[in-house]
Amino acid sequence: MTNFMKNWFLSAALVLAFVVPSAVLANSYREQGQTVSVAKSDMEVTPPQDWNKLRARPGKKAETWTLDGELLNDVTFYGGIAPGKPLVKERNKKHEPLPKFEKETLLIEVPELLESTYRANRKIGLFELTSIEPSQFLGRDGVRFNYQYVDKDGLTRKGEARAVIVEAQLFMVTFDAPRLHYFDRTLDAFRALADTATL
Amino acid sequence: MSKFRQLSLLALAPLSALVFMPPLHAATAPMPPPFEGVYQPQGVDEIGWWREDDEDERALLNSPVLIHDEKLNNYVTDVLCRTVGYDRCSATRVYIIREPVFNASMTMNGTMRVFSGLLLRTRNEAELASVLAHEFGHFERRHGLQRFKGLRSGSDVAAWASVLAGVSMNYGAHRSMHGLNYQIYGSYFRFSRDDEREADLLGLGYLNSSDLRPHAAAEVWENLMGEATASASIKGLKKPNFGRVAFFASHPGNQERANYLSALALPDGAGRDDGADRYREALADWMPIFLDDQVKLNDFGASEYIIESLAQNGWTAELWFARGELYRNRGHPRDLVNAAEFYREAAFADPDLADAYRGLGLSLMKAGKRSEGQGALRRYLELNPDASDAKMIRMMAPELEVSE
Amino acid sequence: MMRFFVLIFAVIGLIGAGPQSASAQEKTAVQKGFELAPNSGKRILVFRPAIRVGAQSTAGLFEPNADWTEEATKNIQASLAEFQERIGNEVINAPEAYGAEAQNLQEHMDLFAAVSRSAIKYQFFAGQRLPTKKKDNREDIFDWSLGSGVSSLPGADGADYGLFIFNKDAYGSTGRKLLQGLAFLARVPVKSGEHQGFAGLVDLRSGDLLWLNADFAMGGDVRKPEGAQKRVGQLLEEFPGSDLPDGRGE
Repeated sequence: MTNFMKNWFLSAALVLAFVVPSAVLANSYREQGQTVSVAKSDMEVTPPQDWNKLRARPGKKAETWTLDGELLNDVTFYGGIAPGKPLVKERNKKHEPLPKFEKETLLIEVPELLESTYRANRKIGLFELTSIEPSQFLGRDGVRFNYQYVDKDGLTRKGEARAVIVEAQLFMVTFDAPRLHYFDRTLDAFRALADTATL
Repeated sequence: MSKFRQLSLLALAPLSALVFMPPLHAATAPMPPPFEGVYQPQGVDEIGWWREDDEDERALLNSPVLIHDEKLNNYVTDVLCRTVGYDRCSATRVYIIREPVFNASMTMNGTMRVFSGLLLRTRNEAELASVLAHEFGHFERRHGLQRFKGLRSGSDVAAWASVLAGVSMNYGAHRSMHGLNYQIYGSYFRFSRDDEREADLLGLGYLNSSDLRPHAAAEVWENLMGEATASASIKGLKKPNFGRVAFFASHPGNQERANYLSALALPDGAGRDDGADRYREALADWMPIFLDDQVKLNDFGASEYIIESLAQNGWTAELWFARGELYRNRGHPRDLVNAAEFYREAAFADPDLADAYRGLGLSLMKAGKRSEGQGALRRYLELNPDASDAKMIRMMAPELEVSE
Repeated sequence: MMRFFVLIFAVIGLIGAGPQSASAQEKTAVQKGFELAPNSGKRILVFRPAIRVGAQSTAGLFEPNADWTEEATKNIQASLAEFQERIGNEVINAPEAYGAEAQNLQEHMDLFAAVSRSAIKYQFFAGQRLPTKKKDNREDIFDWSLGSGVSSLPGADGADYGLFIFNKDAYGSTGRKLLQGLAFLARVPVKSGEHQGFAGLVDLRSGDLLWLNADFAMGGDVRKPEGAQKRVGQLLEEFPGSDLPDGRGE
């Protein structure tokens, strides 16, 4: 057997060894009424209707739920972002650092943290925070904010988010959807879901 | 030896040698050729790409990232036309895109795209004109078409090789470039270094023949390098090897380029106008917005470099404010002290700038100066009672009790 | 070491090429209960079809060919009109739009692309199906929409349904055909000619997606009238109400 063929077989074997059973690779079901923890944290939600959880995670302490696909409705949970950490995974820590949540970050600055994360990560130029208000989240005094931006695919999206800082850690849930039809259509479902969040 | 190499060798000849030589037009970029009339595409490839580019342009016209401001569009178009000539200019349409990246491009059908990150960085008409004329050079020499043909034959070789190696082929990179947003970026080809040099030559030729100072072309480049160096420094990275950094990699590198651009500029043009005042006036409404887009990208070194560069013409309230935002966003303890000072300067320069008080208040509160911070936040609310975050601010800085 | 990794990726590439095989290439879905009776006189508004035709050189680089695209667009539109007339519906080309109206149309077309891609990725083909969509499949539910904003699109007030068509065609150039032949001997899958298209029918009052067809391996040379007919036939395969009496051959 030539070296070339040996390399081929070895490669094939390695690949197959790493091919995980499809169940693990699939997107998951989040069943109505079943309490489940999110974003690898102590934050829990009890979905009032069936949702889907995407296999791909935006970051170590983040996870995305959707009804019709992330292009149409995207609910992302951030579970306990620690000081010094970014919201989502950095493509390159040294060359393209993302803004970090810090010990000194005020609750009112959290919307700016999200804005800057989106702008830096997606290289977009149009993002506007439309409102920032005090609001309850996880049973504590938090902030609720709304925003609008033009995403990389050219669609204008609207967003609503809730955030709270608990023991110097950031907990947040965001909802993003195209302003055409989908934001309004899924807003109530998002709010109902976010209302069930506990810590 | 290519024409370019001949010229560059002359241009870089030791000064002493030049002194004894008669004034050589060959030592500067040659004058542009006479205008040949409106060009129509020829051949299957070119006609095909014009059609695609035309479709992309239709979609670009309706894109939400397009800046429609007539005044700004007219100004940029005018700078281009004054530089390359109104007759040539009639073959192009200029579009300004809201994206915080230094870039400009021109597709084969004459669509010129100028990104807002570019307008933030060029500091006068001469600098802007040099970039636009360079892009126009690509268009006039039909580099896009040549690159496409070159790419095609180049990749054919790769395909054969890979089949012989028994590897399955994926469709080429071009397809991923024509993804969802091709109408924004246009048909994109990385030009060869020779193409870039040719465009430089042509662009400088235009600039030399215009009424603007041609040395500005080299200064654009120097500024970009300065920015990249500052950015790397703050990130704790080595000084960039300009041959590797994205934008620079496809263009002739670093100091070499600044040097030959400078050398190819007409010496007599050194005393010409930059159009700096006209530029600042035309960009007045947009500059703070483009600067804000940049600051929010979280590239501290680059943003600070740009702010300080703009401040060479004097610190304004907007520049102080932007600097305050930059430091507050990074938020280390010393940063907060500096941020407070910058916001104070902004408020001093423009007492009605509500956001300056907001930034000041937040910086002070984060630095532990609670009551002073609350005072500034109250001033913010006085100036802007309908602010989008008024309710949150009010919670942080409640109205003072009026003592009886 | 480098060679080793190249080979691993090659193997992954081959395996990756598997699920894209012909059987998983084509799918149609109809909103439950939707029927378009033939000869019902419904008016169908066709939005500027995004049609691109070109050659595909050896490495798969797309070479646009304006004549072909013109031809193909004409042929497809003619076939479209003819096909629709045969099943008794009137085809109207959407009027030109300008300014805010045009921007609104562009946003809707971008949304249509996002909705189609989501439906294709998350409901049509196995692999990434969302569990709630799997459930929908079991109950024959196909529930996607662009929203009622479509009723304000140019031309919408004079029509019942809107048809969006995306068709990208790249025909193998000689080099690629040769390559394909050689690859066949080496037992390496190299598709000659890339054919991709999807078409969707939208209710112009509710915005509901009544019908979506995604086909990643269509036939028919759209540069010729017969080919365009075949392609339109495939694009509009299982178009509601299109059960025509035989005689409607290839």
